[in-house]
Amino acid sequence: MIRKYVQLALKVLARRKFFTFISLFGISLTLLVLMVTTALLDHVFAPHPPEVHAGRTLGIYGVSVQSETGSGTGFLGYKVLDACARDLPGVEETSFFRLHGYVSLYRNGEKLRSFLKGTDASYWSILDFDLLEGRTFDATDFDQRRPVVVINRTTREKLFGRQSAVLGQSIEIDGRRFEIVGVVEDVPIVRIVAYSDLWVPYSTARNDDYQQQYRGDFMAILLAGSRADFPRIRAEFEARVAAMPPPDGFDVVRSGADTFFEFMSRQIFGDRMETSHAGRLRWLLTLLAFLFLLLPTLNLVNLNLSRILERASEIGVRRAFGASCGHLVVQFVIENVVLTLLGGLIGFLLSVLVLGVINRSGFIPYADFGVNLRVFLWGMLFAVVFGVLSGVFPAWRMARLDPVVSLKGSST
Amino acid sequence: MIHLENVSKSYRTERIETLALDSINLEVETGEFVAIMGPSGCGKTTLLNLMGLLDTPDQGTLSLDGEAIGKQSDRSLSRLRNRKVGFIFQNFHLVGDLSVVDNVEIPLLYRTLSSRERRELAAEALGRVGLSSRISHLPAQLSGGQQQRVAVARAIVGRPQVLLADEPTGNLDSQMGDEILDLLEELNRDGGTVVMVTHDPRMAERAHRTVRLFDGRQVQ
Ligand SMILES: Nc1ncnc2c1ncn2[C@@H]1O[C@H](COP(=O)(O)OP(=O)(O)OP(=O)(O)O)[C@@H](O)[C@H]1O
Ligand SMILES: [Mg+2]
Repeated sequence: MIRKYVQLALKVLARRKFFTFISLFGISLTLLVLMVTTALLDHVFAPHPPEVHAGRTLGIYGVSVQSETGSGTGFLGYKVLDACARDLPGVEETSFFRLHGYVSLYRNGEKLRSFLKGTDASYWSILDFDLLEGRTFDATDFDQRRPVVVINRTTREKLFGRQSAVLGQSIEIDGRRFEIVGVVEDVPIVRIVAYSDLWVPYSTARNDDYQQQYRGDFMAILLAGSRADFPRIRAEFEARVAAMPPPDGFDVVRSGADTFFEFMSRQIFGDRMETSHAGRLRWLLTLLAFLFLLLPTLNLVNLNLSRILERASEIGVRRAFGASCGHLVVQFVIENVVLTLLGGLIGFLLSVLVLGVINRSGFIPYADFGVNLRVFLWGMLFAVVFGVLSGVFPAWRMARLDPVVSLKGSST
Repeated sequence: MIHLENVSKSYRTERIETLALDSINLEVETGEFVAIMGPSGCGKTTLLNLMGLLDTPDQGTLSLDGEAIGKQSDRSLSRLRNRKVGFIFQNFHLVGDLSVVDNVEIPLLYRTLSSRERRELAAEALGRVGLSSRISHLPAQLSGGQQQRVAVARAIVGRPQVLLADEPTGNLDSQMGDEILDLLEELNRDGGTVVMVTHDPRMAERAHRTVRLFDGRQVQ
């Protein structure tokens, strides 16, 4: 039964080339944008190496302070983390790291801007970097404040080319020399925890002033035993922060342990640490996707409705020869689903192409967008929803046409 | 085969109400060949649509093959149409997007048949109207007479008991018209009941009897 209608649909679509082209164009373009967007979102939010444990990792990304005169948000200082984020119940491993920002490296008198992070040893075990050469640094390096540095592949290639050995060489960062102990694969900039060009132990800082700061450039990641531990980890951390005496001139200090998604929603909806906006962001993304899907759906509905008149004679004939309204609805809906699945397929192939181009363009540093199976299935699901949505209403209108009236029209 | 008793039908538009059929009593026997004649607008098409269950009467009773037509659901009416009736329209009404054989298969789509069975029956019907060589043409690639023969094949492919032909020769020249009428006569000789609307007395002569309508009423 279905096969019969699918064959019929393919025949009609093959004959109505212009209509088919317009429809496919709209659908595949929309799906293309959708797939590229989901690939991007997937890339930002879903666990990918090196953040292989993202599903059970909480991050402490910021702090908000309040006084009578005002309030502010920023990165955390080491002092808060040291006092509140160590040995939290339910946490298996804790890592602190700091975002130094961009530093200049020099090679043959040429300046190279590179991002620098200071980390501890746990950083390397919570995150699963793809180690290309040498090693990362360990607790001994950290404790003994050894001036060692891990660099990423691109930095290695820019500084030393592909051939010559780099391990044991030293580079000058901010006026001090660091020995290169390892090279890791590049990480895209959207993964703010793992992204960097250079990593050094933060214990190598010139002095220990950072240890007294409430606000600074630190973040922390907490690897929980499982997601089920999240609530008590959060509660304990927040309680500890609240119990800390606030810095001079401020009344309240607030910080929280967030998933990355929650952190992003905070960035979008406002910076107060005490409320979660994750629900809102999820809702907003869903709404946007829905509205976006609505455009081509409406377009297709419109195209289909405009074809009702054109197909009136066919509808009348089918009714006269025994098609019930149900038969016609099924026929037209299947036509639309076939159309949108085709559009989905084309959109999919296009997105593979486009994502490949984005990856190669260097437009987003170290981007590595892939159309993974999940994104593909989402795309296909959208395509079917599309097909049904844009098929049902016109089909219902078509099927309800009075056969007597539709047969009045002119001949073929 | 077809029984109409006191059947009336009117069309309401915003302002006016047209009484298209007024108290029609008509009996079409099984195996009969009936012609319906009358001036334009007298209700011939309306009558045919009622007989073919495409439309329902406002008043009176109608039965087809012994089955009273009342308040059946859309599905069961569609089923009856599918089994019992074959339509031939004045202006062919072939589906332009579909090939000749696909057009002929349309009535079979709404039955449970395999695609091979459908194809075989359609090919056989096309053979009967002498169009075996045009199976995969598109309607637009055929002459008017050939198109109407496709329409005849489509009307007979499901072996309905009743053929309802609304001016089947109206758009054809006399020679092609004769060919179509030959086909209808042949089907009638094989036992089919045929009701044909026509303007052409020459065509009507070939029927067993002629029903005349004037302004929605039956005249002698
Ligand atoms: N859908 C409709 N809405 C309103 N009036 C209609 C409708 N269909 C038919 N009529 C009216 O009903 C009357 C009978 O129409 P019908 O089509 O049965 O005539 P006919 O005898 O087939 O004419 P013709 O020989 O021109 O085909 C006409 O006056 C027509 O205007
Ligand atoms: Mg008429």
